[in-house]
Amino acid sequence: MTATLVRAGTVIPEWKLPAVSAEKMKTMALVLVDPNPIHFDLDAVRALGMGDKPVNQGPNNLAYVMNMLAGWTGGHEHLRGIRVRFQGNVLGGDHVVARGTVSALREEKGRTLADCDVELVAGQRVALAGTATVDITHLARG
Amino acid sequence: MTMTESELAAIVGRPIPGGSYTIEPYVDWLLNDVVESGRDGEVAHPLFAYISVAVGKGLSWDEVFAICGATAADGPMFGEHETVLERPLKVGESFTVSGEFVSAERKRGKRTGVFDIVGFRLALTDAEGELAAATYNSIVFPRRDA
Repeated sequence: MTATLVRAGTVIPEWKLPAVSAEKMKTMALVLVDPNPIHFDLDAVRALGMGDKPVNQGPNNLAYVMNMLAGWTGGHEHLRGIRVRFQGNVLGGDHVVARGTVSALREEKGRTLADCDVELVAGQRVALAGTATVDITHLARG
Repeated sequence: MTMTESELAAIVGRPIPGGSYTIEPYVDWLLNDVVESGRDGEVAHPLFAYISVAVGKGLSWDEVFAICGATAADGPMFGEHETVLERPLKVGESFTVSGEFVSAERKRGKRTGVFDIVGFRLALTDAEGELAAATYNSIVFPRRDA
């Protein structure tokens, strides 16, 4: 895809994860130094009345959207910024889909930037939504 | 007891101790495995902007909650997050983390009741003293006894 084909309204290819792994939440708890047991201890989840599935860490959900943008632009190095509002939980086993649409193109310091509306959906629920900016100059130059 | 609105307002401007963070190659491997991302061994996953400040901020989450007059048992929730990258972060790089609380606001909702939203900004500065990334996070604190 070249930048000449990118315009406001262009739909970014979706990024999908068939089932969020509960096991990987345990690794992430260590990476984040996050002791909150809702991410790894099902007894704690039940005791809190939060069902019987662990709650995915919010940053993981953000990363899925970053993955979508990297898949579209060709790499994580093209992300310039992202701002999201966390709106709901993603649980172990959930099927998640990251989606995005280009809202505007602009030039800044000789670079071509695409502003995008992005979201992560788990089932029918929006888990997070916001905006992101990626550098697509390399696409413009083919 | 829920902090007063003046106590809440006093949080704004409070510095966060900060510290340092290094994107260790093995942690880059683990993070990319966790979030199902491809890894090239040079450019770090951009989520490391968040991870670097979360781990390197010099306060535990319990200490952040205490400053905001809450505990983990109160059910604080992620509100918003923003990352602005000046350039890609590299695997193996070390950063200095610094920042402060920038906002604290009490809100009332018909369904949600009283809650506070506290925001803080943290920046990553590289070994040359250049800004590499800036982040903003907000946390929502339910105030059930307000």
